Amino acid sequence: MELTLRVWRQAGPNAPGKFEDYQAKDVSPDMSFLEMLDFVNEDLIRQGKEPITFEHDCREGICGCCGTMVNGKAHGGFEGTTLCQVHMRHFKNGDTIIVEPWRSRVFPVLKDLMVDRSPFDKILHAGGYVSVNVGGAPDANAIPISPNAQDTAMDAAQCIGCGACVAACPNGSAMLFVSAKVSHLDVLPQGKVETVRRTRAMIAKMDELGFGNCTNHAECEMACPKKISISHIARANRSFWRALFSHES
Amino acid sequence: MVRRLDMVLSSIGKKELMALSGLGFIGFLVAHLAGNFTILSGAEALDGYAAKLEALGPLVWVAEAGMVTMALVHVLVGITLVVRNLQARGQRYAMKKSEGGRTIGSRTMWLTGPWILVFVGIHLAQFTFPHKLTEEAPALSKLVAEQLSDPIWAGYYVVTMLILALHVSHGFWSAFQTLGAAPSRSGYLRDTAVLLAFVFGAGFSLLAFMVFNVPDLLK
Amino acid sequence: MTQLDAKIPGGPLEQKWERHQFELKLVNPANKRKFEVIVVGTGLAGASAAATLAELGYKVKCFGIHDSPRRAHSIAAQGGINAAKNYQNDGDSIYRLFYDTVKGGDYRAREANVYRLATVSNLIIDHCVAQGIPFARDYGGTLANRSFGGAQVSRTFYARGQTGQQLLLGAYASLNRQIHLGGVTMFTRREMLDLIVVQGHARGILVRNLLTGEYERHVADAVILATGGYANVFFLSTNAINSNVSAAWRCHKRGAFFANPCYTQIHPTCIPVHGDKQSKLTLMSESLRNDGRVWTSKKKGDKRTPNDIDESERDYYLERRYPSFGNLVPRDVASRAAKERVDAGHGVGSTGVAVYLDFKDAIERVGREAIEKKYGNLFEMYERITGEDPYTTPMMIYPALHYTMGGLWVDYDLMSTIPGLFVLGEANFSDHGANRLGASALMQGLADGYFVIPYTLGGYLGSTKLPKVNDTDDAFKQAQDTAEKRVNKLMTAKGKRTPADFHKELGLLLWEKCGMARNEQGLKEALSKIPKIREEFWENVIVPGDAKDLNQTLERANRVADYLEFAELLVRDALERKESCGGHFREEHQTEEGEALRDDDNFCHVAAWEHIGDDQSPTRHIEPLTFERVPLTQRSYK
Repeated sequence: MELTLRVWRQAGPNAPGKFEDYQAKDVSPDMSFLEMLDFVNEDLIRQGKEPITFEHDCREGICGCCGTMVNGKAHGGFEGTTLCQVHMRHFKNGDTIIVEPWRSRVFPVLKDLMVDRSPFDKILHAGGYVSVNVGGAPDANAIPISPNAQDTAMDAAQCIGCGACVAACPNGSAMLFVSAKVSHLDVLPQGKVETVRRTRAMIAKMDELGFGNCTNHAECEMACPKKISISHIARANRSFWRALFSHES
Repeated sequence: MVRRLDMVLSSIGKKELMALSGLGFIGFLVAHLAGNFTILSGAEALDGYAAKLEALGPLVWVAEAGMVTMALVHVLVGITLVVRNLQARGQRYAMKKSEGGRTIGSRTMWLTGPWILVFVGIHLAQFTFPHKLTEEAPALSKLVAEQLSDPIWAGYYVVTMLILALHVSHGFWSAFQTLGAAPSRSGYLRDTAVLLAFVFGAGFSLLAFMVFNVPDLLK
Repeated sequence: MTQLDAKIPGGPLEQKWERHQFELKLVNPANKRKFEVIVVGTGLAGASAAATLAELGYKVKCFGIHDSPRRAHSIAAQGGINAAKNYQNDGDSIYRLFYDTVKGGDYRAREANVYRLATVSNLIIDHCVAQGIPFARDYGGTLANRSFGGAQVSRTFYARGQTGQQLLLGAYASLNRQIHLGGVTMFTRREMLDLIVVQGHARGILVRNLLTGEYERHVADAVILATGGYANVFFLSTNAINSNVSAAWRCHKRGAFFANPCYTQIHPTCIPVHGDKQSKLTLMSESLRNDGRVWTSKKKGDKRTPNDIDESERDYYLERRYPSFGNLVPRDVASRAAKERVDAGHGVGSTGVAVYLDFKDAIERVGREAIEKKYGNLFEMYERITGEDPYTTPMMIYPALHYTMGGLWVDYDLMSTIPGLFVLGEANFSDHGANRLGASALMQGLADGYFVIPYTLGGYLGSTKLPKVNDTDDAFKQAQDTAEKRVNKLMTAKGKRTPADFHKELGLLLWEKCGMARNEQGLKEALSKIPKIREEFWENVIVPGDAKDLNQTLERANRVADYLEFAELLVRDALERKESCGGHFREEHQTEEGEALRDDDNFCHVAAWEHIGDDQSPTRHIEPLTFERVPLTQRSYK
């Protein structure tokens, strides 16, 4: 099939950007979306033109590198699917596809479709961990954990840090990302010890960086390629109350 | 204490303030709607109800002070949230579709909120302030009958009540989610919110409609 | 040719590591702050090493090519991590894990290293649980295990089908904590271009800032390389697109010996190739073989849909050939068996290059829900990619390049032949021999990073006197000059073919001549073709854009240039190893039943290659392997 791509091109963080059209010819339905972009890029390179810069790596939906808005939806809007796992069989011959980078003041565009998601790391630096050094751990079976709690923790821990939640949120809020980590560690006994400190630190960092506020649209949950539920946001909100009333300094 | 204040003023803290004040208003609306149903029993019942409320004296003042505080919190915090959210996006999308999470209610909070604020101002000017400011204000039933017999005003009231319903349909569920009490994106709280929105929308509108259509009701 | 000394400590196998830990010099806590250590790579080995060394007090600088350490390809490991906990009371022990790993590696790994690995495996699980990693659990709240290819006990710990992700996020969390505490300075989006060797010791690295194209020089007292494997030299592999051999290769050219490059692992359960525009292959976790049955049609060229093929017409070839291990034979055996069926004309699907992995019996036995719980996300992934529902139609699978056992040669302390350069994880060669067992890569990466390097690095720094080095020294200048010239050459070639195009050509050649089965003629052919591709590459490659800018084509070109050199070494090693062992299968060396045939008299050794010069053949050194505990036998899974 043949498609028209309308892609955001921007030379650098401070350069102005604009949409440009490209023809993708000979697209097979078995190709992944990124393979289709590769294909267009190979053509551009051969013509001596700069290819479309986009971030990608594992191409199996787990590294969290890829992700752009495709036709107005994060990762193209296919349930539980990162862009690298979207296959061209979902598109029709003659379609025009609009490809745009994540838009968030906190995630500036670096080049074309690639944005800077390092603010996510900064939030995790502030407290997204259990403070345990190598060497001091008790036997792994010393603390039984109900499969239920483990399941909930795993649901949250699956986050791949792709940024779709921020990109899809009408407010540019990072609450799903932050709450996924807070929630993952809060439901496990290993993480409970530090709940108060962690919750305070991560929220403060998230605010400092300039993300928007959660107003419970739930767009993030729908956009999340790992289908992380906003029930984790509710749990993080509960952690907030605990932290608010805690006497811990 | 400084840490607590920081937390209250954090993004989640502000959201909690919105949630608590919002739920406070919903409580008020329930009482207001219940009180308004005295309209169906005629002018005497309505005025009697108003008089009884009046007679509560200092309690009324406490309640009113609470309402004003809640209103200030809800409005001021709401404005800061909206401003911040607009800043957080930066450049808009050329094309953005809903991912499927948003509802009409959630989408329009920033519109329905100010609309309701303006309405509250008008509403207070029409029915509350006359009694507060002058001794010789006409009876409440008279004021109501006068206003709602005008088709434009009646229409404005009904439209506003539908807008209020929209606001509540997201706000009620959202408040519980913010407080950490909602179990998931869907579920009974969502349904309750819609039901409550319906009750408010239909209840208040019904009364306005009755006053408009049955001229003798408040005679 | 010289013989390499792995510096394996004396004493009985069980006591070697403990004794060595005691004998290694310690660095006084106050002095640790004075030592700067560079860690390149942020996968399981790199992140765990960086975090742990910072916990001990070293000043760590950590480098990665991604925007965040969390993107490293360890994240994609699905199945699990082995440990000898014996929580299932099924007869596991440190000794059994050791034994299985040596045997699984087809007797081409060091006993002492493997024993240490098995010993620390238990500590890894303890530490990971303490970090809050949500491993699967049983109803009573204790940890669950599953069995994995090549093992008859259940010793694999897992977090759904995302064990690598969870373990990496755990190491990343520890790294984040150290970044927050100031112990680690993190340099993201930096690609290592060269190793700086001063007076014979590794003393720093040269990196390219991938956002700005600037060169940056970093001095250190030791360099730890944890940059993963080289499977991407084959173009199509299950590795992430950006995984590459460059850092290891540049170290090799600076004097680090490269060991056993021909040991490449082909994973039996990948989604088959669909077309010529494919950029990478996707792995389906090996754990699927626990419940899935592998089969093809007994009829040649059978084009019927799988559900139309009657039970009696199906050939469950793994169960037929290996009755005692059945579908759970090790990866190399399962892969070759699939190739054998396809080559014999029994392949399935439209391309005929695939076999079925069928869950019908498992679903009948335990119910769809139980299967969904175990493999739900894998099934979903399969359906997303192929558009077919594996609950009702058997999956199609075929082997693909997945992991590389070879890597930079290291001694028992994980130090390469360049003093001060340590190599961890998949980037080194040490623990898996000629074939890696499932769920052992995660174990090795974390063992190296959490539990080995913290000791051995101290031993090195505590017993070595190092002169002061500045980033303005000649070694840095010379390295940057070389790197700049090379980049210039790439930018100015202005030819007609893209770097990916060359990569593809090279990959296809390697897959055909040096893939699942190799023979002398094919290898020689490859050896004569690779230099030609390389020559054309430097003349005819095209890299648009600017070198002083974010330039993904340049990144790719730089890596492909290294593959083009490295591939030659890989093939040469395969040619010289005139035996079949593990992942290295030479068609001339097989039993009558088509199983790999080792030559222990002549090849029971590690081959470590020394770079002599760009235009000269490398020198092959050996490290003899001795087996005191696990008697050398023909591996049998029958």
